[in-house]
Amino acid sequence: MSNAIQVRGLKKNYGSHGVLKGLDLQIKAGEIFALLGVNGAGKTTALECMEGLRKYDSGMVAVNGKMGIQLQSASLSAHIKPMEAVKLFAKWNKAKPDYGMLDALSIKEMEKKQYFQLSTGQKRRLHLALALISDPDIIFLDEPTAGLDVEGRLSLHEQIRKLKSRGKTIVLASHDMAEVETLCDRIAILNDGNIVFCGTASELTDKVGKKYFIHIKTQQGNNTFETDNIEDTLLSLLGELKRKGAHVLDIKVDRGTLEQHFIEMARRAEE
Amino acid sequence: MSGFLYGVVLQWKLDIRSKSLLVTCYIVPLIFFLLMGGIFTSVMPEMRSTLIQSMIVMSVSMGAFIGLPPSLVETYASDIKKVYKANGVPLYLGLATMFLSAFIHLMLTCIVILLLAPVLFEAALPIHFAGFFPALAIYIMVSLSIGSILGLIVKNQAKLTMIAQLVFLPSIMLSGIMFPADLLPDFLENVGRIFPASWGYRLMLDHGFQFENLWYFILVFCAAVIACGMLLKKQKAK
Repeated sequence: MSNAIQVRGLKKNYGSHGVLKGLDLQIKAGEIFALLGVNGAGKTTALECMEGLRKYDSGMVAVNGKMGIQLQSASLSAHIKPMEAVKLFAKWNKAKPDYGMLDALSIKEMEKKQYFQLSTGQKRRLHLALALISDPDIIFLDEPTAGLDVEGRLSLHEQIRKLKSRGKTIVLASHDMAEVETLCDRIAILNDGNIVFCGTASELTDKVGKKYFIHIKTQQGNNTFETDNIEDTLLSLLGELKRKGAHVLDIKVDRGTLEQHFIEMARRAEE
Repeated sequence: MSGFLYGVVLQWKLDIRSKSLLVTCYIVPLIFFLLMGGIFTSVMPEMRSTLIQSMIVMSVSMGAFIGLPPSLVETYASDIKKVYKANGVPLYLGLATMFLSAFIHLMLTCIVILLLAPVLFEAALPIHFAGFFPALAIYIMVSLSIGSILGLIVKNQAKLTMIAQLVFLPSIMLSGIMFPADLLPDFLENVGRIFPASWGYRLMLDHGFQFENLWYFILVFCAAVIACGMLLKKQKAK
């Protein structure tokens, strides 16, 4: 698979503070790639450097395709109506609005409202529609579901999956680990301007350690146990519960959430 | 329709939806015209000969210095600018469309004054329309260009309100539209000549469309175009 974006040795300083300290990344065409990091880790700066909206001090960014950008903090004129914004941006990009996409994002439903009357979710959908106007190959989404309710979030996830199925490359920055886990093919974790991990979620799990989480529900309540050896631990736990006469209602085994692994990676990076 | 033309038409509609521009370009200037037109012509009947020019100066100053800059700040000191940049819309579009839209709004207000003043207050119409309309257009353009600098240079609305008043009030008080400028002390008369209002007033009077009243506008407009270009370039670099 060819690279949609290639970043090498990207450095960016704000005054004496280094925000990006030599970033190296390859984002493959057609994948959903997430940039994760705590606040101030440099996610937005890294995205803006890739998008060409921010100058960087040194390094190289190569983007192979047309870009569509949905910004984290975006706004439009208070009195503009969604379809007017769509037409304006379409004319400047010499593109015809894709009415299928606009329907999917429910832009027509809000056509009588002015921008200041739209809800956060409607504004997000409108900005995504504007980012998609020129039928870009690579779509940047900075915190796309921040401030959205569950329904809005699910609807946006659906749109992102559709875009991937059409062969688009999607790069997103997010705080929402569950979102990243469900949507993304690969993730990169940024910490203090460096990439401390880049790979799939299961590779992250392997890197963090082969920990299993055993959740046991009994009449006395819920308990979670961590282990590296699932067979021995599970057998010994069940034996102990039987001896105590506890009645087991449910057992679940998982390998931890991306959030837990992210926290672990961040902790290791701090050390 | 090209993107630019669509942008101008859209901005014109947005200005009508925006109550603040409706107030500064139409409601306040026309109420001022109706009130002051009645007062001026009854207290000083000789003002009938310059009433149209005086009321136009007031309307244009208000629209250009108080009406236009806040719309520019809304775009250029906010995330709207980033959305334009991110989605392939050139940064000059906001300035150009707002400038042209405000020009049309102010021209309409001035035409309303021109049509109503003779009927309501027996005001004298300009004798040479061929000189009056170019003078009016030049005056509006130069006033808007100064308003554009204000809107691009000032980053917050509160500061802007204060600075806009510092330009608007002397324009009105010292330009000669309320009372003859030669009654003012020399210092204040000279201060008044810094602002386009006093030049615009003279330019629109009968036989006023001459180079001695025009050079100021050429100079200020060229300087304003350069300043706006530099300010936009600075915005882009950021």
